[in-house]
Amino acid sequence: MRWLQSVLHRLRNLFRKDSVERETDQELHFHLEREIAQHVSRGMSAEEARHAALLEFGGVEQFKEECREARGVNRIESLLSDLRYGLRSLRKSPGFTIVCILTLALGIGANTAIFSMVNALLLHPYNFRNLDSLVRVWEDRGIDEGYDARYIAPADAEDLRSTNGVFDGLTTYNYQSFGLGVEGDVQPVLGCRVSANFFDVLAVTPAAGRLFSAAEEQPGADQVAILSYGTWQRRFAGDPQLLGKTVSLNSRVYTIVGIMPKDFDYPVPVELWVPLALTPAEKADRAQLSLNALARLKPGVSVSQAGAALANFSRRLEQEYPKTNAGRSTTLLQLRKELYVFTLPLFLLLQAAAGFVLLLACANLANLVFARMIGRQREIALRTALGAGRGRLGQLLLSETFLFSSGAGAIAIVASFASVRALRTSIPVGWTKWVPGWDGIRVDGNVLAFAVLAALGVGIFLGLATMLHTSRIEPSKTLKETGTGTVTRAKRRVRSTLVVVQVMFALILLVCAGLTIQGFVRLANVYQGFEPANVLRIEISLPQKAYADNAKIANFYQQILRGAASVPGVQHASLITNPPASNVDNETTFFSIEGQTALKTSEMPAADLQIVSPDFLDTLKISSVAGRAFSDADNVDAARVVVTSRSMAARFWPKGDALRHRIRLGAQDSSEPWLTIVGVVGDVRQNWWNPATRPVIYKPFSQAPQRSMTLLLRTATNPSNYVSAVRDVVRQTDPAIALRGVNTLDEEIADSIAIVRIMGILMGIFGLVALALSSIGVYGVLSESVAQRTHEIGIRLTLGANPRDLMKLILGQALKLTGIGLLIAIPCAVAISRAMASLVFGVVSLDFTILGGFTALLLLVALGAGYLPGRRAIGVDPMVSLRYE
Amino acid sequence: MSKPTDLVQGTLDLLILKSIALGPMHGWAIAQRIRQVSNDVLQVNQGALYPALHRLEQQGWIEAEWGESENNRRAKFYSLTKSGKKYLQSEQANWERLSAAIGLVLKTA
Repeated sequence: MRWLQSVLHRLRNLFRKDSVERETDQELHFHLEREIAQHVSRGMSAEEARHAALLEFGGVEQFKEECREARGVNRIESLLSDLRYGLRSLRKSPGFTIVCILTLALGIGANTAIFSMVNALLLHPYNFRNLDSLVRVWEDRGIDEGYDARYIAPADAEDLRSTNGVFDGLTTYNYQSFGLGVEGDVQPVLGCRVSANFFDVLAVTPAAGRLFSAAEEQPGADQVAILSYGTWQRRFAGDPQLLGKTVSLNSRVYTIVGIMPKDFDYPVPVELWVPLALTPAEKADRAQLSLNALARLKPGVSVSQAGAALANFSRRLEQEYPKTNAGRSTTLLQLRKELYVFTLPLFLLLQAAAGFVLLLACANLANLVFARMIGRQREIALRTALGAGRGRLGQLLLSETFLFSSGAGAIAIVASFASVRALRTSIPVGWTKWVPGWDGIRVDGNVLAFAVLAALGVGIFLGLATMLHTSRIEPSKTLKETGTGTVTRAKRRVRSTLVVVQVMFALILLVCAGLTIQGFVRLANVYQGFEPANVLRIEISLPQKAYADNAKIANFYQQILRGAASVPGVQHASLITNPPASNVDNETTFFSIEGQTALKTSEMPAADLQIVSPDFLDTLKISSVAGRAFSDADNVDAARVVVTSRSMAARFWPKGDALRHRIRLGAQDSSEPWLTIVGVVGDVRQNWWNPATRPVIYKPFSQAPQRSMTLLLRTATNPSNYVSAVRDVVRQTDPAIALRGVNTLDEEIADSIAIVRIMGILMGIFGLVALALSSIGVYGVLSESVAQRTHEIGIRLTLGANPRDLMKLILGQALKLTGIGLLIAIPCAVAISRAMASLVFGVVSLDFTILGGFTALLLLVALGAGYLPGRRAIGVDPMVSLRYE
Repeated sequence: MSKPTDLVQGTLDLLILKSIALGPMHGWAIAQRIRQVSNDVLQVNQGALYPALHRLEQQGWIEAEWGESENNRRAKFYSLTKSGKKYLQSEQANWERLSAAIGLVLKTA
């Protein structure tokens, strides 16, 4: 507390300066009086006594100053006067001030905005207790299935739960679509079936009600549900009496037993949770990887230790159950890192770009401040001559740059509230709802601290740069000089270096921006192999209970297809399991080729599996390469047939004889029937991150009916006009069925690459700002150096120099500075674009038109920056320029 | 004029604190008291005294109050604060240990 007292005391001294001063006067005066009185009492005359006392007392003013120093007033007072001086001198050149503050604000603001995303998505994707001990666990079959296909077999999960020594708890869950019955209507909701210990492993408690009990994991006892806070608010209007009430989910009655807290959203974007009640047969299943698993590490167990334990576990399973578990390895990944593969490079790129922009702004500012310092050399020299110490001068200059940076920081913080919200809402919910932590993108304490630290850092950096610049001013020399002051070679070199660095950063940023935009353009055109225009997509999911057997499912969809096709304006109607641009990878399956010898599981061929109805080629306008498409004749009683994609046929039957070969899905010795290849169709890009040439097997829907399908309609006019008609068709067939994901394929594609579009826009802005900043930088330094040489140029002109040669001299200097920067930057840009190509999209490649174009652009800017001041200097009458000082 | 800090740095603080430990005192009286008690050996110059008083006040060891002096004039009286008392005790103990140690070295070495 003593420091607080001390600060208060100082402040009192500061604000009541006059009365404190008066008191000191009085105090010293009193002392003097007593001294005089004492002398008088010893027999001196009044006059003598006064003289003696004053002599003894010494310099009153000096003591007063020492008292002030002791009170600690001087430091604060001088700081305030420095700040006042700074403000005054900034007001004198408002243009300079505004440019400085705005460029800095832009730099700090860009970094703050990007950091708010990094903060939410990478640092705090979930607010679980001890997040770092939560891991996702799955079984890897040796084929790349993407991160949304990381599953474990139920029996393996059970073994892992009961035998491992590394987890405190392991829980399983899987997503399930529900039709929520509300007042005669059915709304689609995404739910999650979870083991009873799900919430315990995550260490969360419900906001109201209770969690699931172990008894509710039994089929039949499982008709209880826990709602998310958002669902409670949105779908039940926050009904306070909701607990204990029942709802209809897929036509079954569930009792609501709990409501989760507002900030709980695992796994995103689930609206409700029900118990995962597996039948004994399902529980004993080792063949199908069907469950997601999440585990909490025991305290003190590291991820790598757990990984080693899991490796042992998989080896044991492999030996015990070679038929199902051969070639499988159990893997784990920290929950926090699950999306890193995708988000980390993205945000590293953005944060790095924003950092570059800030550096560029700083370099520019340093340059501007330096230019001002040259004008102030005499002032600084005078201050030094009058006894201002190094520290005192430093304080003066630092307080000026801090005015810049704190002003800029304040603007950036205010602006960031708006820009962060804009960033958060700029990407469609369809994409962001799958990104944990996305809703947490906001300006919180961390983000504010980041902005303040950035502003402080910039202030210190600039202040130090300025001090460095003034440190070698010698008052005796500078004061003797006439004119505006000169620039030493060393100082000019510092500024030239800054320009070189700026050009470097600018080129790198521009190339990165160019590549990102190239990536976006390529992605927008990536969906080749079909025509997305005028296609409507609708997801349909049939409840298990009402549609228990394949005949019922097939019958329902037959009616829907027939009904939809008869709507006027609908040209083609078909079904597909996973339409393009769905943001979900296809299910992957192993298969074996008839006549090819058995291999190890991990070496078996694999392909994407799609189930489609006969008209899908025409609906999507996919080309037919060989053989035939499906027809209604390929029904459940007919011979089993498949169609493959072109790249699948090319990979496995390179001689072009894929037709009439037979394949079998599943493991080596599976009991699946042999399927005859009757057709080959063109390749289709599934999602922008998949290669177009993934092998795909198409099965006819009537031979493999599925409850969840997407209905695709090719329409004559705007597909949105047909939604209500299709809704009627579905309602007439079965009023209990909910439609979801109703959208046009065009919009679906735009949404799926929205994140890349935003990135392209952001990078484009960063690139343009970098270009502007570096142009200002080059121009500033050149015009300065030309101005310094006006006198010299005048002499040369008078002596008959050719103006053209002089211009060449000036332009040469511009090109030299820029050229050095570009030479350093080009290899960096090449390396960075290589990294980008492999990290971010897979569609980006180093493009020499981009690199060459921006290099030329920067050279042009440099020429312009040299030409303008050059023309000014040469155009001046030599007589004037000779007098110019 | 001799520089005020003929005294070891920090010793003046100790003397001031000790002098006002008995009760509030103004600056002049503090100087007088130190001189008298030390039999005129320690002469505290006012040029050192007042900055020291202001510094001690700033540090929170002492506090000041205006009052009537013995000759009915307004004077600034200084007194020890609570933390000042503690500080005095620890400083006095330190000083005694130090001077005893120095004495020991001077006698035996």
